[in-house]
Amino acid sequence: MTAERVRMIERRLRDALPVDHAEVVDESHLHAGHPGARDGRGHFRILVVSQAFSGCSPLQRHRLVYDAMGEAMNTDIHALSIRALAPEEYATPKA
Amino acid sequence: MDEVQQAIKQQVEAHPVILFMKGTPQFPQCGFSMKASQALAGCEVEFAYVNVLEDERIRQGVKDYGNWPTIPQLYVNGELVGGSDIILQMYESGELETLVKDAVGKQQA
Repeated sequence: MTAERVRMIERRLRDALPVDHAEVVDESHLHAGHPGARDGRGHFRILVVSQAFSGCSPLQRHRLVYDAMGEAMNTDIHALSIRALAPEEYATPKA
Repeated sequence: MDEVQQAIKQQVEAHPVILFMKGTPQFPQCGFSMKASQALAGCEVEFAYVNVLEDERIRQGVKDYGNWPTIPQLYVNGELVGGSDIILQMYESGELETLVKDAVGKQQA
């Protein structure tokens, strides 16, 4: 279930956005037993780097990610922690 | 606009800073709602809150109202600011405090 959902989330991101880099972590185990976990939907942490975020506010970036998830927000995802970065923000700072 | 949407609109317009959350700031029922309400409390302004767990229609309705699929949701001056990630990010940068103090100040002026 975990691996399938992680793949599904990454696929949805890549289908909707030009993705440079994506990391999806299932953190559902951290929330087991809490009321939001009862319906079986999961908690996930996402790092996604895309040029689509350049010049967008945090609100707009999160909307793009939620839109990419589509129906999965109702069926598989209870909560998402989102870090949505433009490529220039993700570039490793030079030492 | 249906009754529930109307009720949410009234709440959002009546309070310059209002958090839709699970539970209350004293007894939050979700880690994300807890972090969001703590960040707001850290800004030292009065804020209104709605416990969406008390009314399933509001719980669903606020997702439709904000076109935002998760809770918590923070509204300042009637506008959706974001959910817990954005609230925390803005709290850490100091933007949140400026935003909510401006909003509350305007109301009192």
